[in-house]
Amino acid sequence: MSGTIDELLKNPVSFLADASADEDIAISTRIRLARNLGGRAFPIAATPESDLEVCELVSRAAAESGALGCPECFSFDPAELSELDREILLERRLASREFIAKTGGTRLLVRSDESCSIMINEEDQLRIQALRPGFCLDEVWSAIDRLDDELGSRLDYAFDSRLGFLTSCPTNVGTGMRASVMLHLPGLVLTGQIGPVMQGVRKLNLAVRGIFGEGTDNRGNLFQISNQTTLGESERQIIDHLKLVIDQLITHEKNARRQLLAHDRYGTLDHVGRAYGVLLHSYKLSSEEALQCLSGVRLGVDVGLFSGLDIHLVNELFIAINPAHLQKAAGVSLGEPERDIRRAALCRERLKPRV
Amino acid sequence: MLCDNCKKNEATIHIKEIHAGQVVSVNLCADCARAKEEKGELGALGFNLAEVLFNIGKISEKIKNGSAAPVPDQAGSEPETVPVCPVCGWTPEKMRAENGKLGCPECYHTFETMLSGVLSHIQRGSAHLGKRPAAAGTDGGVAAKRFELEKLQRELEESVRREEYENAAVCRDRINQLKAEIAAAAAGAGKE
Repeated sequence: MSGTIDELLKNPVSFLADASADEDIAISTRIRLARNLGGRAFPIAATPESDLEVCELVSRAAAESGALGCPECFSFDPAELSELDREILLERRLASREFIAKTGGTRLLVRSDESCSIMINEEDQLRIQALRPGFCLDEVWSAIDRLDDELGSRLDYAFDSRLGFLTSCPTNVGTGMRASVMLHLPGLVLTGQIGPVMQGVRKLNLAVRGIFGEGTDNRGNLFQISNQTTLGESERQIIDHLKLVIDQLITHEKNARRQLLAHDRYGTLDHVGRAYGVLLHSYKLSSEEALQCLSGVRLGVDVGLFSGLDIHLVNELFIAINPAHLQKAAGVSLGEPERDIRRAALCRERLKPRV
Repeated sequence: MLCDNCKKNEATIHIKEIHAGQVVSVNLCADCARAKEEKGELGALGFNLAEVLFNIGKISEKIKNGSAAPVPDQAGSEPETVPVCPVCGWTPEKMRAENGKLGCPECYHTFETMLSGVLSHIQRGSAHLGKRPAAAGTDGGVAAKRFELEKLQRELEESVRREEYENAAVCRDRINQLKAEIAAAAAGAGKE
């Protein structure tokens, strides 16, 4: 168990890797489980010694179980990584902002294909994650359930027969599960339906967040929909409820796209064409503008307005244009103005028409 | 009715959510609702957890004490005995400072009364209906016992080296107990 961020970067971004049904709208599916060990303080109240013991216990359980494909898995001590490398983990959705901000007593275990990972000593001692491209809640649940069982047979989880898995924050107690699907919804945004639709989603007891979780906006017209509550329903009930709502959102988005093309074809073509034009001809691009334009181009690819553009290339750019990935590719630390120049150059190069 | 947020405009948006039979209502004007909606602050957790926790805690306390009106309490009438978690030393004050987070699994028992009100507001139900840990039926935490065993063996050697024989004896007894437990678990697993 070891590895470096440079080795990790040789992988394609796992949650964007493959094609699947409804992939054009549902980009990825993620489930995470919060777990703690019995008889020990949660990370917020734990001593540094206890943090280190938990790191060792969980790493050992993961290695013994084989569930993360160890010894070929990655094991990172975030305290030993540069700030840039920690940001890479965040941009690849392997770690949370809260986790990378901690200064010690944490560890991150990542399966070599990045499909499963464990943050040790984030808000809870274990935050187990499974992440796949497309809309595949059943597949992701089955992967994480297995991983959880393998770890759970080697670790004494803090569990109460009435309250379920005990977590540092009572908002996670019970299943400790947060299941989420990331959706690309430019049709609903362009037709002005996104506000009421998301209000409806929230009334159905689901949370709506931006691409990098809590506190982020809907940059790139990307929305993460997840369950809000964790107690009083089984994992299966939570997943089935989320599936129903996501199915409906995909149908709404498809209708909105059809509506756009039928009633405002030139407006839609103009939106997509301008987005492509900006990406192809800019010399300075902020993250936000790049994401907005990539969203426009992605919509164009999805509805068949571009014939020669691969959707995977567009998907890859959604990650490659982020600050840490840009700087890693450049091999040097860059300030914001230099990043904007590099970002524009990357988009021009990757999206230029191939003859 | 005035907006709960800005307290200036007329509230035109009324959100009601039902959790375990209790209604939580929020009344907002169109501007505040839009602002909150854009920030993703609406929905079941559109309020500060710690705020809910302590208001609810006080409400439950009042109801329990027979007070007629279940309204949020004013400062200065704290319950006489403040519960303190015997394992991690967590207190309601600490919980408030940490946005409603708890210090250890035992806190769920220590602050049970306070939490039962909170959970009914922030969760869909009050009882776990999901999966159970695999450990209960499989290795019974053998890995954790092995870990403790190794730690104690190092401690035992260190105690002997320092001639702290009392502590060494405690370690030895615990080591023997752990070895027996691990052996029993292995024998149990072999029978299955």
